[in-house]
Amino acid sequence: MAIRKLHQVYLLTLVVAFGALAARAQSFQIQCPASTITHPTAANNNAEPAYVGATYTGTTGYGTQPAHVNGAIKCQQISGGDGFATMGDGTQTYLFAFGPLSGLADIANGLPGTGFPKDFNSLPPGTLMPGDPATANGLTANTWPSYPLPTGAFGWNGAVGLAPDTDCLADPVCAATIPANGLDGHVDPRSVMDVGVMNGNMPAPLMAIDEDDEFFLTLTNVGQVMRPDLFEQHTVHFHGYPNASAFYDGVPDASVAINIGGSFTYYYLAPDAGTYFWHCHITPPEHLQMGMVGQIYVRPRQNRWSGALYSGLQAQQNDLRTKCDRASDILCSNPLPAVPAAGPDASNDGTKKYAYNDGDGSTRYDVEYPLQIHGFDPNFHFVGMTFNPEGFTDMKDKYFLLNGRSYPDTVTPGPLMTQTTDGLVHFSQPLSSIVNIPAGGKALLRIADLDVTEYQTLASLGIPMHVVGYNAKLLRDQAGNNLDYYTNSITLAGGESLDVILDASDTTKYPSGSTFYLYTPNLDHLSNDAENFGGLMTEVHIN
Amino acid sequence: MNPSTKKTTISMTRLLPAVLVVLALLFTRAANAAAPGVTGTAFHLTAKPAFVSQPDGNAVYSWGYSCDSGGSPIPFGAAGTACGGAMQIPGPTLIVTAPASGSATFTVTLTDSLPPAAGNTSILFPGFQVATSGGVAGLLTREAQPGSSVTYTVTVPSTAAGTHSYYSGTQSDLQVEMGLYGAIIVLPSATPPACSSGIHSTNLLAQGAHSETNFRLAPAAYNHPGACYDREYIFQFSEIDPRIHRQAEEQILALGNCVAGTAGCSLSVATEPYVPAYFMVNGRSMPDDMDANYAPEYPHQPYNGNPHMHPGELVLLRIVGQGRWQHPFHEHGNHVRILARDGNLIRSATDPANNLAGPLLFTTTTTPGMAMDGIFYWTGKGLNWDAFGHNTDPNKTGHADCFPDGNGYNTGDPGAINYFEWCQDHNKPVQAAPVGNVASGGPATLPDPNIFANGPWFGGSPYLGPDATVRSVGSTGTTPPSGTIANSPTEEAGFAFMWHSHNEREITTNNIFPGGMLMMMLVDSREFKIDESN
Repeated sequence: MAIRKLHQVYLLTLVVAFGALAARAQSFQIQCPASTITHPTAANNNAEPAYVGATYTGTTGYGTQPAHVNGAIKCQQISGGDGFATMGDGTQTYLFAFGPLSGLADIANGLPGTGFPKDFNSLPPGTLMPGDPATANGLTANTWPSYPLPTGAFGWNGAVGLAPDTDCLADPVCAATIPANGLDGHVDPRSVMDVGVMNGNMPAPLMAIDEDDEFFLTLTNVGQVMRPDLFEQHTVHFHGYPNASAFYDGVPDASVAINIGGSFTYYYLAPDAGTYFWHCHITPPEHLQMGMVGQIYVRPRQNRWSGALYSGLQAQQNDLRTKCDRASDILCSNPLPAVPAAGPDASNDGTKKYAYNDGDGSTRYDVEYPLQIHGFDPNFHFVGMTFNPEGFTDMKDKYFLLNGRSYPDTVTPGPLMTQTTDGLVHFSQPLSSIVNIPAGGKALLRIADLDVTEYQTLASLGIPMHVVGYNAKLLRDQAGNNLDYYTNSITLAGGESLDVILDASDTTKYPSGSTFYLYTPNLDHLSNDAENFGGLMTEVHIN
Repeated sequence: MNPSTKKTTISMTRLLPAVLVVLALLFTRAANAAAPGVTGTAFHLTAKPAFVSQPDGNAVYSWGYSCDSGGSPIPFGAAGTACGGAMQIPGPTLIVTAPASGSATFTVTLTDSLPPAAGNTSILFPGFQVATSGGVAGLLTREAQPGSSVTYTVTVPSTAAGTHSYYSGTQSDLQVEMGLYGAIIVLPSATPPACSSGIHSTNLLAQGAHSETNFRLAPAAYNHPGACYDREYIFQFSEIDPRIHRQAEEQILALGNCVAGTAGCSLSVATEPYVPAYFMVNGRSMPDDMDANYAPEYPHQPYNGNPHMHPGELVLLRIVGQGRWQHPFHEHGNHVRILARDGNLIRSATDPANNLAGPLLFTTTTTPGMAMDGIFYWTGKGLNWDAFGHNTDPNKTGHADCFPDGNGYNTGDPGAINYFEWCQDHNKPVQAAPVGNVASGGPATLPDPNIFANGPWFGGSPYLGPDATVRSVGSTGTTPPSGTIANSPTEEAGFAFMWHSHNEREITTNNIFPGGMLMMMLVDSREFKIDESN
């Protein structure tokens, strides 16, 4: 018995060794299957189906037929590398950064770059050029028009590098195993490098998925051309993901990290709805300070429900995965509300939006905005561009950022661009921080703090902050009583997130055309390095 | 970054090579933590100086408390040396039990054996009724003079429970910075019936079935059905600004044995600007924090931070802010249900007897002097793939049953490797075409291992536990022979999660990364015996 087992191990080792040899030489690759065992029908995976009931009921599970297939497939590709961003005082700051390698048009428009398989697996309309999407958009580098930058003509959201696997297509045996168009995840590394190098964004590309989605996130490490002395790996840590596996948790010490020239696809089933964020976990005090921080949120299945929200949440109790029973699970935050609510917010027709599966409509909003709080230490970023080691103890942030920008750049619509050391102009800071609320509407601010040195406070001048969620969880006690509260300021540490609703439904107090402010009462953070007015501040516009 | 490897590297200049080899062998397997401390009703503590060890090789002059008598070490029995008279940082964790009715008291007699120039010292017990005797009047409480003592009589009502801090109330900006702080754990007077039924009962059976000893201090943190737990850890967060310590040391050396209270026999240490360089969990910086409790190379830092747990165990975290900064403590792997703040259980307004109202946090911010209790667990629920990499073929190894209980977990057989597996994903593959003996047809294709860099706590495969890991990738895992392995594919292969300060610069030690407030928490399959006996 023991000997047989040993043989198995030897055999396995051999298989592994040969497997490694036989692996395709390609180390850049992407993964975005049109269907999976969880989402078996490809035609249903390119849109969010309505939620009509539990996926599995009772104690059934994989191997049995699900009662309903919920959610869809979502994919995204990002580069890990470097780039430059423009600070509020005009300084160009060096970044270690993630950049978009899919959903380019959406990212340039300030939207999540996450796409369904049919969008992700689409080929580009023309040859991608260095510095794209600018050049592909008919714009010539260095001759940019004024703000906002026009991105309208460029509507392609596919994966950069995607190309037919011609080698496989040429071999009938191999060809039989891949789609007829040859799109099996094979990429042309030239276009990945053309677009990905020096194309870092601050914040890192925005992601958004829906509960029950499978998410394929490919990280492609294009290297850091400004730091040829480094051989930095990168990872993605999906911060706050409940019951994560160590393998996909992105901590290099506890898993694998991706070397330069390689790609790795993180696979997640969307966790419970909430405002999460993500970042590289390699040498966090360095890579986070240098800019490798992004936002991700998960939208609740309640958005896809038609009918009374209370009965929608009751339906979720039929699946043990989505149930919230305080007696058996101390870590669930959305039991059925103690008081069933009435009114228009408490029932959905499949078009209303909510932050959480609240069952009572208390987290309904009209528009949502990610707001990422961060800080840059200009000295650290300068040293980070040189070959000298940086010190951590004396780290002192002097740029205070909302979505990678300081005031007044925070109120510039559209993406910011920065000319980098390759002589090309890149989209560097895609997310404006203007909060546009339709008159009489409600805005959900998905606030995350990624600062690596200190706590930061954000205050609202005008519209009170209605805090409905904290650390990606609905504020509700185990008995179903909502614990939401109103405040004029919130304080977060690096590594925390919070959901605030700005309720402008009183059009007398908040009439169309009015402007309100979000700013930090940490008054020394209202600065851009030596400039003494700027920093962590933005505007709320009632449209 | 195997902790032992790191330690040997750093200690190279201080130790003989022959000793090094022995140390490396001794401390590789250290995997224990729990919430060690001393129990009793009349504790005798002495404030005194000593040098604490930092992983960059620095020995930092500090002040701390020693437990001289009156405390029995728990939960480690003879293994602990907690009341052996050695100065320690943090101070001895004082563990007391609330009385069944009325109130009880315990006393702390504090002797000031600090250098005369340091002056008086005292202890504050925030949240407790305290009577004092002896000593001299001070600003906040009665103080012990150099060479003398003061006694505090602390009242513990029957309703008390939870984790609390204690710290110096004399010249606190200097004395707390120097290390005069510690924790008090009050065990509740009664155990709720819920703690001995349901999953708490089967989790205890599972520990027994796998020959594990339970090292929790009590079945519940509070007398409330939501406060039951299966395992526990305490984490105290503090910082050191080495300039302050150096200045104190230099002044004390210069003043020699001056007579306390005479002119000039005092310290004038600037405690601002404050630029800490060491960030500690339980008095140690990473990787030292992951060595054993009472490890001999840290004679003045006996407590470690090295949490382990099995899937489905409810783990009590006792989180205490010491020092003077806030630290956003980020728990990878899941949220934490906050039970209480400073020993005050946070209950639902409408159903306080049964329901909790504390927040669910993935980042638990510590505040100086504040303690919180919270419950964490990890089960892998919702991964959408079988973490145990089970084989669907009944004729192959790795085939197993998963019988869901009412909550969907495999809890029927406490002796099973996959006890507490999330059955909805049982047999569900993650890999499309794995080479090893695990189910195939999953959504993910793993690239050539050559483009990875494997971390030392990587178990060697995507799967949990040695059985699944060896079946999927072989006994060496995918880590090349040159790699460092702190989570052996054949012995542990746990899921490692980093628990750390998310003010990321605090996971450094005097400008060196990694270090500081960082621990690896391991979720271990039942194949790995979690032994917290030291």
